[in-house]
Amino acid sequence: MGLPLLFDTYKPIAGTFDEMIDAEGTPRAHALRATKILDGLTPKEFAQAQSLAELSLYSQGVTFSVYSDQRGTEKIFPICLVPRVISGAEWNRVEKGLAQRIAALCAFLDDIYGPQKILTSGTVPADLILGAKFYLPKVRGIRPPGGVRIPIAGIDLIRSPDGVFRVLEDNLRTPSGVSYVVENRLVTKRIFQSAIEESSVRPVEQYPMHLAETLRAISPVDPAETRMVLLTPGSFNSAYFEHTFLARTMGVELVEPSDLFVDDDTVFVRTIRGPERVHVIYRRIDDAYLDPEFFLPDSLLGVPGLMRAYAAGTVALANAPGNGVADDKAVYPFVPDMIRYYLGEEAILAQVDTYVCTRPDDLKYVLENLSRLVVKAVDEAGGYGMLMGPQASAAEIEEFRKRIIAEPRRYIAQHRVELSTCPTWVPGAEKLAPRRVDLRPFILTQPSGSWVLPGGLTRVALVEGSYVVNSSQGGGSKDTWVQKDKSL
Amino acid sequence: MDRAESTARLLQVTRTLVFDADIPVTQCWKPLVIVAGVEEKFIERFGQDNIGNGELVQSYMTWEPENPVSLRTSVRAARESARVLRDVLSLESWEEVNELYHWLGGDEAQVLYRQNREQFYRRVRKSTQLVLGLVRSTMLHDTPMSLLWAGAMLERVGQTARILDMHPHTMTLESAHQIVEVALWLSLLRACSGYEAFMKKVQGRVSAQAVASFLVFDRRFPRSLRYCLLSAKQILLHIWPEADRPGPGHAPYARLDALTTWLDKQEATSNPSLIHALLTRVVDDSALICSDIGREILGPPQPEKAAPVPTASQTQSQSQTQSPSLEAVPLEGRRPPKADKPEQTGKAEVQ
Repeated sequence: MGLPLLFDTYKPIAGTFDEMIDAEGTPRAHALRATKILDGLTPKEFAQAQSLAELSLYSQGVTFSVYSDQRGTEKIFPICLVPRVISGAEWNRVEKGLAQRIAALCAFLDDIYGPQKILTSGTVPADLILGAKFYLPKVRGIRPPGGVRIPIAGIDLIRSPDGVFRVLEDNLRTPSGVSYVVENRLVTKRIFQSAIEESSVRPVEQYPMHLAETLRAISPVDPAETRMVLLTPGSFNSAYFEHTFLARTMGVELVEPSDLFVDDDTVFVRTIRGPERVHVIYRRIDDAYLDPEFFLPDSLLGVPGLMRAYAAGTVALANAPGNGVADDKAVYPFVPDMIRYYLGEEAILAQVDTYVCTRPDDLKYVLENLSRLVVKAVDEAGGYGMLMGPQASAAEIEEFRKRIIAEPRRYIAQHRVELSTCPTWVPGAEKLAPRRVDLRPFILTQPSGSWVLPGGLTRVALVEGSYVVNSSQGGGSKDTWVQKDKSL
Repeated sequence: MDRAESTARLLQVTRTLVFDADIPVTQCWKPLVIVAGVEEKFIERFGQDNIGNGELVQSYMTWEPENPVSLRTSVRAARESARVLRDVLSLESWEEVNELYHWLGGDEAQVLYRQNREQFYRRVRKSTQLVLGLVRSTMLHDTPMSLLWAGAMLERVGQTARILDMHPHTMTLESAHQIVEVALWLSLLRACSGYEAFMKKVQGRVSAQAVASFLVFDRRFPRSLRYCLLSAKQILLHIWPEADRPGPGHAPYARLDALTTWLDKQEATSNPSLIHALLTRVVDDSALICSDIGREILGPPQPEKAAPVPTASQTQSQSQTQSPSLEAVPLEGRRPPKADKPEQTGKAEVQ
């Protein structure tokens, strides 16, 4: 049997791991079924399916808005219908690694906002932590109601040429993108009908139920009596679609800060029949805009008194304020040490070697090798504040050199990882070509343990040769198929 | 349901949609521009002579982005409101609004508009009617839907009243056209989707008096002023079961109750020459009722945003016109609030 029609001309990039096709050009064992689904489709037929999918997302308004565009243009997050498939056995290992990592990061945050033993032990440099932009000294000593500081996490993984999944960064504040995982699956299902069932793909639609359960589990009152709300900055926010999606699918109220008020250290939501008490807030608002009393006295945004209620233990916040100190990119290199320190285990998931510019040796190396390195600002996300050395102009490199020397604490550097690729539809050329991908799994954690959404958001750099997968920078997405593990 | 601002927008969506469904495709272009409340803007832009220019009027009322009540603007506004209320609307209602919006912005709609105008209007009307149907058949019958429906009813009052009030204009300003009175009344009935219902009622005996009385007083025609007002009253009792006593919901209820009582009295002393005055009162009071509802949900308007006099289309507290006359009513208030404007809002119940 030959390759499916679509894969006739497909060649992985030399020196790069391809998720679906091996170096000899044959489908990997776990991807065989998925490639067969596309078997028999001509490029023309595939193009039709592709435009159907896009139309469907468009009609449903599955969009995000782009900040750089002042008019708030909405775009769909482009989807490529060729799925990214992960074998059941491999996923089991990833799941364990993610749960382990979250356990260590939770312990780290409890420690940092408590006794700070890890700093006195010298495992992590104290000045690095206490000087982090998102470290909140005022939160120290507050026990979060429910006891879990990271109920919702998104951890970005990449796969290096040796086929190893590595953590690229942690998102422990308000990770987004999960709505696209669920919507992508709905669209793929509609178009490939029974194919997904045949390939024994693990479902993702249950995410909102798990999220609701996780939020109820950290409630300060009986879960059955718990009133939860989702707090959004408003309809102008780029992730507003996701906020409405989660509110709808969990069946909880979507509120803006002005819908909430605090009386006697208790949070209430205004309703048409009078105020009602709120016990859990899934907030999709940054720390700084939660409570003007606590954070920014001049700000009109936020819910005055919210942090008092939080400290009094009457309301749970997901995620806890102050988490930013743990997903700081300069703290990331120390996560394996945290796992060792708190759990007494070796990290299951590998990382990417990182140069921390506050270390004199690292700084020297970085400045000497800027054209070969990827430099990132530690406190920025979304692909902003980044230098891709190998692709940058001399002027850009000099600009970054100045910035790094001025503020070494703000920068880290890594060698560019040859991100793995996945066969991706190229409109115009009407064929499949290798494009680079990453993976953002979502981890929900309650006191009894973590649950990992099977798969997560596969983002793909649609532009040939690009390594940047962010939706704000021309990235697209793919449905991620985790196969059922037959060995279980 | 919803954030206060949301409620305002919700009413707005509905109003816009009801309006769209009622666009009369008649040959009397000038009244169309007048009834839409854009006469002044139109003349300023195209001159007095062009107000009878059917193609120009149609294109102005369909595509013009600067016309706040053009189909495209209305649908865009409705869609933006629906997007903000996405957590409240059912998936089906939202998809229909969104698809109409994208269709209207695409080539397909342009082609249909050029090649088959009638089909084009039908498509738009069907979509808008479908949205209203979907709202009733797919949303939880709870406070959010009640608010939406109360808004639809009160907006319909305004629409029917404005259409009915086209008559004096046509007669006084366009008398040179010598339009046969009966034909005119029938076209008004069609504009309110009331032609067949009316005929069933009067069995062919058409008169100005009969049409006016049908559109104002009929208890069973779902677009008559009385029907809409009585429906709105019932809905308010759903939202606030004790609205007939002082307390939550009482202000809009009491005003509505007074209006329907007054309307009953007018029926007894029906006088066609007073119709304009009657319509003006009904529209103005409906507007006040809308703002009463808004105040019940949002609390008193913020001082810097408060408008002194509410108008027919008021559901949000920014951007209204203050004109008491029927013709000028619909304009500014139709414009939806800016999406990026942070609103101070209360929160209504969401199940």
